[in-house]
Amino acid sequence: MNNSKNAKKMTVQKMVLLAMFSTIALTVFVIESLLPPLAPIPGIKLGLANVVTLILLVCFNERDAFLVLFVRILLGSICAGQMMSFMYSLCGGLLCFVTMALINRLLHRQFIFITSVFGAIAHNIGQLLVAIFLVRQPGILVYLPLMMISAVLTGLFTGFCAWFTTPRLEKQLNRYHVQR
Amino acid sequence: MFKIYLKNRTALVLSALIVLILLGSIAAFLFLNTGGSTGTIAEIYQDGQLIKTIDLNSVTEDYSFTVSGENGAYNVVDVHHGEIGIAEASCPDGLCINMGFIHSSAMPVTCLPNKLVIRIVTESDSADKVDGVAY
Repeated sequence: MNNSKNAKKMTVQKMVLLAMFSTIALTVFVIESLLPPLAPIPGIKLGLANVVTLILLVCFNERDAFLVLFVRILLGSICAGQMMSFMYSLCGGLLCFVTMALINRLLHRQFIFITSVFGAIAHNIGQLLVAIFLVRQPGILVYLPLMMISAVLTGLFTGFCAWFTTPRLEKQLNRYHVQR
Repeated sequence: MFKIYLKNRTALVLSALIVLILLGSIAAFLFLNTGGSTGTIAEIYQDGQLIKTIDLNSVTEDYSFTVSGENGAYNVVDVHHGEIGIAEASCPDGLCINMGFIHSSAMPVTCLPNKLVIRIVTESDSADKVDGVAY
């Protein structure tokens, strides 16, 4: 799966595919940010863009997933709002990514929905930490339980989205002999 | 697929961890919501600094005031008898408005983009308890 000998060279085919994944992630991210908030607590959302990161973690490798994640967060913050949300997104996104990469290794790319839940939990913890740092009010830690509950639910949802997509994508990637 | 799942010890341990986190969060949430004492003093923090303290019990007539921040950011705070909330704000998501009016210490109202926090405290744990000591 992991073509490590040629890992440094990226074929044009792969680059185009990753660019397309970035576009998909960005589109989903922007559309989701336009939807009304799910709950009146900052930070509770579906995190649908994470489906793309999950898919890439399973079908490609960690480096590619990270590239797409970073491009999505950077462009997403420019498209969807202020630079403030860049801080939140980046801290949440990085913590989420590291956790997901770790869990994904533990699970050997199986059961992506478990990976997703841990990613969502890490994401929300990261965002809350940035919020506490910026607002300088440790009192908003009381949001944590609610954010954890929402993380488990939304994480399961996005996880199953990715879980149902990956076998189909895998088939197509094999069909066109995509270097990974 | 279910059989593979049951045979995978890592997956089972991680799933159990998720269930634990979920149950713990629900317990903590319920505890916070019932344990939140209905205080009467609202404290408004901006950028981590206490800028205003209001005794909500002594409010007889509804009123509102504006807290302005940097770069033209503002929040209009509505004060009623016994409760406080944000009526209007410059932040793009408007989450602080959706959080509604609060009357207990369980959930503070937060506006992250404008770094504003409104929380309710009981007289005993109010930030200016220096007065209490000075008696």
